[in-house]
Amino acid sequence: MSKEEAIPMKNETSEQKKVNRPKKISKSQKNFMISVVSVLAFLIFWEIISYLQIINPLFISSPIGIIQAAGILFTDVSFWTNIRVSAYEFAVGFLLAIIIGIPMGIFAGWNHTFNSIINPFVSALYVTPKVALLPIIIIAFGIGVASKIVIVFLMAFFPIVMSATKAMSTLDQNLIKTARSFTATEFQIFKTIALPSTVPFLLNGIRLGLGQGLIAIVVGEMYASTAGIGYQLTNAGQNLKTAEMFVGVIVIAGTGVVLTGLVGLIEKRFSSWKPE
Amino acid sequence: MTQQKLTSQFLDVTYVNNKTGDEIVALKNINLSIEDGEFICIVGPSGCGKTTFLNTVMGFIKPSNGTILLDDTKIEGPGRDRSMVFQSPNLLPWRSVLDNVMYGIELQKRVSKETKALALQYIELVGLKGFEKSYPHELSGGMQQRVNLARALSVEPSLLLLDEPFSALDAQTREFMQKELLRIWSQTRKTSIFITHQIDEAVYLADRVFVFGARPGHLVEDIKIELERPRELKVKRDARFTEYVDRIWDLIEKESSKQGFS
Ligand SMILES: Nc1ncnc2c1ncn2[C@@H]1O[C@H](COP(=O)(O)OP(=O)(O)OP(=O)(O)O)[C@@H](O)[C@H]1O
Ligand SMILES: [Mg+2]
Repeated sequence: MSKEEAIPMKNETSEQKKVNRPKKISKSQKNFMISVVSVLAFLIFWEIISYLQIINPLFISSPIGIIQAAGILFTDVSFWTNIRVSAYEFAVGFLLAIIIGIPMGIFAGWNHTFNSIINPFVSALYVTPKVALLPIIIIAFGIGVASKIVIVFLMAFFPIVMSATKAMSTLDQNLIKTARSFTATEFQIFKTIALPSTVPFLLNGIRLGLGQGLIAIVVGEMYASTAGIGYQLTNAGQNLKTAEMFVGVIVIAGTGVVLTGLVGLIEKRFSSWKPE
Repeated sequence: MTQQKLTSQFLDVTYVNNKTGDEIVALKNINLSIEDGEFICIVGPSGCGKTTFLNTVMGFIKPSNGTILLDDTKIEGPGRDRSMVFQSPNLLPWRSVLDNVMYGIELQKRVSKETKALALQYIELVGLKGFEKSYPHELSGGMQQRVNLARALSVEPSLLLLDEPFSALDAQTREFMQKELLRIWSQTRKTSIFITHQIDEAVYLADRVFVFGARPGHLVEDIKIELERPRELKVKRDARFTEYVDRIWDLIEKESSKQGFS
C-alpha cells in the first residue's frame, strides 16, 4: 500500500513503508546487460566487415587493429604529451566557462537590468557557430594553447550562462511568497529557494557545455596547432593511419562519457529527494 | 470586555495597474475587530477582496487608506507575529517534512534545540508523526497541507491566516481536515482568519463569519455562530447550522446579483 493513498490517522506507524519485495534482476541491471550485448555485437560485426574486406579496412580499420594501435601509442611519449596538452586546454577553458558563466547567468536571472544589458549579446552569440571565429582567434592568440582555451571557453560558456538564467526565471513564485511571509531576506530567498531549484538546470548547462567544449578542443586543434589529441588525430587520419586516428576518437569519446557520467553522479546526489 | 487582537479601521486597498495606471478599489472602508483566540471565517463572492484583505493583514500590501492594528501596533510589513497557510502547500520539494516545517523557524533565524522540538511537536499535532523524513512528493495532498499548517504553526504566531487551505482537496479529505483543524485549533486557540468559498465550512469552523461583498470589496455582515464547541461533523445536520448556512447563502446571492452574475 502506498502512503499516498492513506489519510494518516494519528497513530499511523511507519510499518507500511517496509514492504519486502521478492528479489529479482532489477530493471537497470537488465538494461545494462542489453547494452553490453549490443556493443559487443557491433564490435564483432565491425571486425567481420573489416576482415572480409567488405569495406576497405583503410577507411574503417577494425577493433583488433585499434587495440593494437592503442598498445603502441600508449607506450609513446608524444601521445601522452598530446593528451596532457589537450587536457590542460580543456580544463582551463571549461573551468573559466563555469566560474564566469554560472554567477553571470544566475545574476542575470535575478536582476532584470543586468539581464537586459547582457541578453542581446548572449542570445546572439549562443546561436553563432563559434568555430567560425577560429581564424580570428588563432590570429589573436596564436596557434598554441591560448587559442584553444579561448575556443573551449567560448563554446562551453553560452550554454552554461543560458541555462543558469533560464533556471532563475523558472523559480516558483509561490515558494518565494511563502518565504516572504516568514520575513525572509532577499539573500535567504536566494540561498534556500533560488540556488537549490537551479541545480538541475546548472548541471544540464554544464553537460551541454562539456559536449561543446570537447568539440572545441578537436576542431581548434585540427584547424591550427602543434600538439594535442586533435592534432594527433588529424595527423593520423591524413597519413591513413586509421587505427591510430580511431584511438584518438575513442579517447575523446571516453572523456566525454566519463565527464558526463560525473555530472550524472553529482545530479543524483542533489536529487536524491526526487521521485524515481 | 475582551482584548482586541486585530482591528481594521477605515481600511481601503487600491490596486494600480502598472501599465494603464487604472485603479481598482479592492477594499473600501473595512471596519472590524477580532478578539484574542477567535476563529474568524471570511466568505464572499469571487473577487470581493478576501485574499486582498488577508494579504494586507500579512503586510504584503499597503493600505491606501486606514490602518490595521495587531496587538495595538500598526502593521507595516510581514512579521514574526503572523504566519500564513496558503491555498497550495508551497513546500520545498527537496526538503523532508521536518526540514519543511523548520523552514519558517530557519528564516526567522531561531533554529535551536527548543524550536526543533517544537517543530516535531507540531508535526505530531497535525498527525504526521512517523513522516518526518518523508519528502513532499511522497505525501498526499491532504498530508502536504498538514505540513503547510505545521510550518505556519511552529513559528508560534499570534495570528494565523489561512487562504482557502482546503480548496484543492477532495470532499472527503476536506471534511476530515476541517475536523482536524478544529482539533488542532482547540489545542492552540490561536486567533485565526480563514478564507473559504464553502459556506458550510465557514459555519462549521468559525466563531464569527464575515460576509464580504464586491465592487468595491466591503464587509456586508458579521455573523456570530453560536454553536457550542467542540463541534462534531454531525453538527452540520443540526437545524441551527442549516439556518446559518441559508442566511449566509442569501447574503452572498444578493451580493453576487449586484455584481451582474447570478
Ligand atoms: N495584484 C493585483 N493587481 C491588480 N488587481 C488585483 C490584484 N489582485 C487582486 N486584484 C483585484 O482585486 C479584487 C479582489 O481580488 P482578491 O484576489 O482579493 O479577491 P478574492 O475575494 O480573494 O477572490 P477569490 O475568491 O476568487 O479568491 C479583484 O477585482 C481582483 O481583480
Ligand atoms: Mg482569493
